[in-house]
Amino acid sequence: MKEFLLAFLGSFCGGIIFNIQRKNLIWAGICGGLSWTAYALTYEYTGGIVFSTFIGAVVVGLYSETMARILKTPAFVFSIPGIFPLVPGAGAYFTVLYIVNSSYSDAVNKGVETAAVAGAIAFGILFTTTLFQFGVRIKERIGRND
Amino acid sequence: MQTKQVMEIASLSAEILLSSGAEIYRVEYTAKSICKSYGIECECFVMPTGFTISCTGDKNETLTYVKRVENRTMDLHKIDSINAFSRRLENEKIGYEDAVKILKDIEKMPYFKLPTRCIAAGFIAFSFTMLFRGTLKDSIAAFFISMLIFKVKNDIESIGFFQFFEYFISGMIAGGVSLIAHKISPALNIDKIIIGSIMILVPGVSITNGIKDALYGDLISSFTRLGEALFIAIAVGVGVGIMLTFSVYWM
Repeated sequence: MKEFLLAFLGSFCGGIIFNIQRKNLIWAGICGGLSWTAYALTYEYTGGIVFSTFIGAVVVGLYSETMARILKTPAFVFSIPGIFPLVPGAGAYFTVLYIVNSSYSDAVNKGVETAAVAGAIAFGILFTTTLFQFGVRIKERIGRND
Repeated sequence: MQTKQVMEIASLSAEILLSSGAEIYRVEYTAKSICKSYGIECECFVMPTGFTISCTGDKNETLTYVKRVENRTMDLHKIDSINAFSRRLENEKIGYEDAVKILKDIEKMPYFKLPTRCIAAGFIAFSFTMLFRGTLKDSIAAFFISMLIFKVKNDIESIGFFQFFEYFISGMIAGGVSLIAHKISPALNIDKIIIGSIMILVPGVSITNGIKDALYGDLISSFTRLGEALFIAIAVGVGVGIMLTFSVYWM
C-alpha cells in the first residue's frame, strides 16, 4: 500500500512534467500505482525482472485503454506516466557508470537487462493495444453481419 | 481551399506533434488524415529530427514541405489537442484562417509553471528513492537535489547550449551534491540518492518509445531514438562518474 502511494506520487508528478491536463493527472497517477503494484507482486512470486515488468506493462496497457474509452482521451496520456515507475532509467545509468569505472562485464550484464526490460514494456503495452483493436474489429464485424 | 494552404496546416500540426515527442506513426497518420479530410492525397516521411510532406498541387506540380525540428520535449497535452483537432477536421470543414489560429493557440498552450514543475521533479525523486528502498533521509536529500537539477537544467536550456551538455552538467550536480550531503551526514546512501535524483534525467521513456517505433516498423526513427537515449545516458553517467572518481582521489 505504501509502495502504491509512492508510485502514484511518482506518476502524478511525472504527469506534471509531461504536461498532461489537470483532470487526467489523478488517473495517470493511479495507472502508475497499479503498474508498480502488479510489478512488485509478480516480482515477489517469480523473481524474474523481465517477466514482472511485462506484467506491469500489460496492466498499464489494459488500464489506459479502458480509461481512454471511459474518459474519451487518447491512451498515451495514461500509459506514458504509467510506465514511468517501470522504465529502466536506473539500468541505463548503471550501465554507463560501470563503463566509467571500467568494470565491463557488469556493464554488459546491466545493459542487456536494460534492453530486455525496455522491450518487455513496449511489448506489454503493444500486446494490450492490439488486443483492444482486435476486439473493436470483431465488434464491427458482428455489427455488420446483423 | 488551395492545396498549398492544406499543406501548411498539415505541416504545422506535424511540427507541433514532433516537437512534443509524439510517436512517428502518429505524426504520419495525422498529416495524412488532415490532407485526406480536405480531399488531397499526400505522402510523408517522418524522422525524429525532421519531416517532409509532399503532394501534387492544383496545377499538377509537386508541392513539398521540408521541416527540421530541433528541440523535442515531452508534452502530452499538445499531442492530445492536435489529435482532437484532426478528429474534428474529419467531420467538419474548417477554413484556413481558423485552422491556423487553432494550431497557433495549441502551440502556445501553457505549460505548468516552473515552480510547480520543480516541485514535481522533487517529488519524483522522493518517491523513487523510497521505491528503491532508500531511507526517509535519503529521499529528502534526493528531493532537494532533484529540484536543483531541474532548475539548473532549465536555465541551461534557456541559454541554449547543445542538449547533451545539459545532461552532463546535471549529472555532475547530482554526483557532487550527493557527495557533499554524504560528507555532512555519513548515514546517507549515495547510490540511492543519485538514482532517485537522476530519475528525471534518465531516458527510460525514450528507450521504450524507441522500441515501440521499431515494433511499428519505423526502423530509422527507432534507432535515432535509441541513439539519443544512449547518448543521454552516457552524458549523465559520465557526469556522475567524474564526480565519484574525484571523491575517491581527493576526499
